[in-house]
Amino acid sequence: MTQDLLGLATDLAGRAKGGEVVEAFLTHELNFYVKVFSGEVEALSASEPRGAGVRVFSEGRVGFSYTTDLSAGGRGAMLDAARENASFVTPDVAIGPAEPTDGPPPEIEGMVDRGQEDVRPDSKVRFALELDRATAARDKRVRAVEESVYSDSDTEIAIATSNGIFGTYRRTDAWCFSLAIAEEDDDTQVGFEFDLARGLNHLDAVDVGQRAADIALTALGASKIPSARMPVVFEPFTAGQFLGVLGQALTGEAVQKGRSLFAGRTGDTVAASGLTLFDDGRLPGAPGSAPWDDEGVPTSRTDIIAGGVLRSFLYDSISARREGRASTGNASRSGFKSVPGAAPSNLALESTGQSRDELLQGAGKVLLVQDFHGVHSGANPVSGDFSVGVTGMLLDGGEIVQPVKEVTIAAPMLEILSNIRAVADDRRWLPFGGSFGGATTLVSEMTVGGL
Amino acid sequence: MIEPDVIQRTLGAALAAGGDLAEIFVEDRTSMALRLDDSRIEDVTSGRDVGAGIRVLAGDRASYAYTNLLTEESLRMTAEAARAGLEGPAGSVETDLRRVVGGGHPVVVRPEDVGAADKAATLVKANDAARSQGAEVRQVMVSYADVRQKVLIASSDGRLAEDDRTRVRFAVQVVAARNGEIATGFEAPGHSGGFELLQRYDVEDLGRSAASKALRMLDARPSPAGEFPVVLAPGTGGVLIHEACGHGLEADTLVKEASAYAKRHGERFGSEAVTIVDDATETGLWGSFGVDDEGTPAQSTVLFEKGVLVGHMSDVLSAEKIGHPPTGNGRRQSYAHLPIVRMTNTNLLPGDDDPEEIIRSVERGVYAATFAGGEVNPATGNFVFGMSEAYMIENGAIAYPIKGAQLIGNGPRVLGVIDAIGSDFGRKEGVCGKDGQHAPVTNGMSTVLLGKMTVGGTEAG
Repeated sequence: MTQDLLGLATDLAGRAKGGEVVEAFLTHELNFYVKVFSGEVEALSASEPRGAGVRVFSEGRVGFSYTTDLSAGGRGAMLDAARENASFVTPDVAIGPAEPTDGPPPEIEGMVDRGQEDVRPDSKVRFALELDRATAARDKRVRAVEESVYSDSDTEIAIATSNGIFGTYRRTDAWCFSLAIAEEDDDTQVGFEFDLARGLNHLDAVDVGQRAADIALTALGASKIPSARMPVVFEPFTAGQFLGVLGQALTGEAVQKGRSLFAGRTGDTVAASGLTLFDDGRLPGAPGSAPWDDEGVPTSRTDIIAGGVLRSFLYDSISARREGRASTGNASRSGFKSVPGAAPSNLALESTGQSRDELLQGAGKVLLVQDFHGVHSGANPVSGDFSVGVTGMLLDGGEIVQPVKEVTIAAPMLEILSNIRAVADDRRWLPFGGSFGGATTLVSEMTVGGL
Repeated sequence: MIEPDVIQRTLGAALAAGGDLAEIFVEDRTSMALRLDDSRIEDVTSGRDVGAGIRVLAGDRASYAYTNLLTEESLRMTAEAARAGLEGPAGSVETDLRRVVGGGHPVVVRPEDVGAADKAATLVKANDAARSQGAEVRQVMVSYADVRQKVLIASSDGRLAEDDRTRVRFAVQVVAARNGEIATGFEAPGHSGGFELLQRYDVEDLGRSAASKALRMLDARPSPAGEFPVVLAPGTGGVLIHEACGHGLEADTLVKEASAYAKRHGERFGSEAVTIVDDATETGLWGSFGVDDEGTPAQSTVLFEKGVLVGHMSDVLSAEKIGHPPTGNGRRQSYAHLPIVRMTNTNLLPGDDDPEEIIRSVERGVYAATFAGGEVNPATGNFVFGMSEAYMIENGAIAYPIKGAQLIGNGPRVLGVIDAIGSDFGRKEGVCGKDGQHAPVTNGMSTVLLGKMTVGGTEAG
């Protein structure tokens, strides 16, 4: 499989004409998915998709095309289309391919779980059935489990360019989630929980199922609370989603084009002193890690905010060249059908050292935010406005006062960053449109909109 | 795309170890997209994605496999993968495939026949028009995309359907800035049809409109938080019906009783004025098609009639469970996805009220001019919508723009607070996400008054 994919990539790159650089990017996946409902397999899918995308660079222009037809004819048509597409692009000195480095970058430990190859489909189905059972059996108030899903993929990625980049790597991924519905006295609440790892043997169906049920159960009896200015604590799950929005404003491209709340603020204090926000594409065990990015540039760690001061953004080759600097290895594509753009790899806040319990006990009366609603509409990485619906808990010194629903929280995102008082040591990675390390996070004040 | 005898043999292979129904979905999708950013045409991309997915239904279980290779051998192997785990006597395939042809949506100017230079010119025009609105317009992104999707669906019960769908969308996003304040404006019309979309819409108007929205919102004050009457502008408010009422009436959530509307058929939720319809047949709309992705012809389905819950939307599998014929709402993002129940064009039908009178009737409230999107939890019906353009209404008149406003509430209850429906029906195109799959949808609504809603914002009420 490796030879085949890299062979196709180098063949495509080798067809560059004079004055051109051709970049070929190919993927080959083995995917499995099983969904259980009510103790039975509801859906099962197995597939092996492959495809290629090429960029042709010439005279400050770039054109892109993709295909699933990897025959000689299909590859030729793709190359011709990319070449023609380039002719309509506005020439720009920043447009060009990534530069090759000396030798291949070191591999990342643990990208492949060798044991995963031996996990048979019926074991995967049993896992999903167990997940469903564990969720449903947690409590008699769990009225239904809407879905319990296990899924995995084994992906080979190959890249080759006519200016000397070539390589291939493999990654295995396995993940699962469960969605519990709890009901009591006419009140219905849902609980979502997931886990992800490099292979099924590192996932715990019973733990995930029970936690999904618990989230729904503890929310029963939730009500609105009065509007107020008050401290808010993000759960790791919601802290990770907040970082997901922030991440969109942290690329060099977003800043260059005025589409970032951080534009023009490099060197400014933009967060609480002592706060460090970093991106690291080489963290073993984190889902966004890879030896090189989707242009073939070695990945790295970038401190974006250090000691509360904005230090750097994340770059791919084109946005880096626009500022006369080097790529940070953050080129990312959503698949072979997409052109690369800069995006975070694994984005997280450094912990300020407390445990979750210490943080909650010391925080007094807070709104613990367990889930956001309407993040994609209520959070704007350009203007920095942040106003979303939430469900959660009113806590006092870590003790539950009441579950809360149908309220909103709001504050400008820069104000939220400045008001972060603590980041606990319970980081977990959230794979929502990237990889974001969420930890229990205390924000000293936000506007809560309720009664 | 595939010969009938190959389809027959593939479906036979899929049912070789039992199962109630086998189905093949073949897709040939070609697309082209251009993007202008920072006054440069930055991306011109095109591609072709071909594949086939095979589904075997056995009891309540759907198993699926897909491939990018349409040779008979590859299809047979895919059929074998789709039937994995089944161990029963072979099922039979209807030999006389009955062709289903849905109503077409006309394509006047085939996008393939328009040169990339002409497409690029529309981006430049929209960009120039947006930037002409003033120096406070700091950034403009314009994109154009066309997709032609040819599909063939055949199943072992004798269905054979084909559809040839062309969609075009044009989007303008403007960022404006003044003294550290940043605001955005957005316009993104689309349709099922050809390049004539850009004759129906003046691209310069779209650019100016997105720019003026961004410029107006530069003056926005922080939105208050609390309970207010809310007036929804025509078109944009349709997303509320989509999220708050539509998703809970998709039969897959109904049969699991994971919907706030489960077992409530015949119940009254709103006044006599409230009628909601999902209609995939409307000519040329963004959410329309000829046949759905299971080969069921597009149709119109009444969900609420005069305030009473009367209908639902279904695909083949959920229709079987609910004991009702499928409503033609089985859609999939591509051959790589299982079909699921989706909306198409969902409308709250217009009423008799004068839109201006609706605004005049509000002493202090919020006017939601553009929703940025929203989401709902079907099980509880709770929803949240962000407003990217909103205004305070004071003493019956629109007073000043507000930012950061969120509308929050509950689907089954919101129909009950619809106090007035205007006569000024409008639509907005969108992309709906569900189970990780995207589908083009249109939402339609007139000016609507919601008597009392929770608004989230940054200022105390």
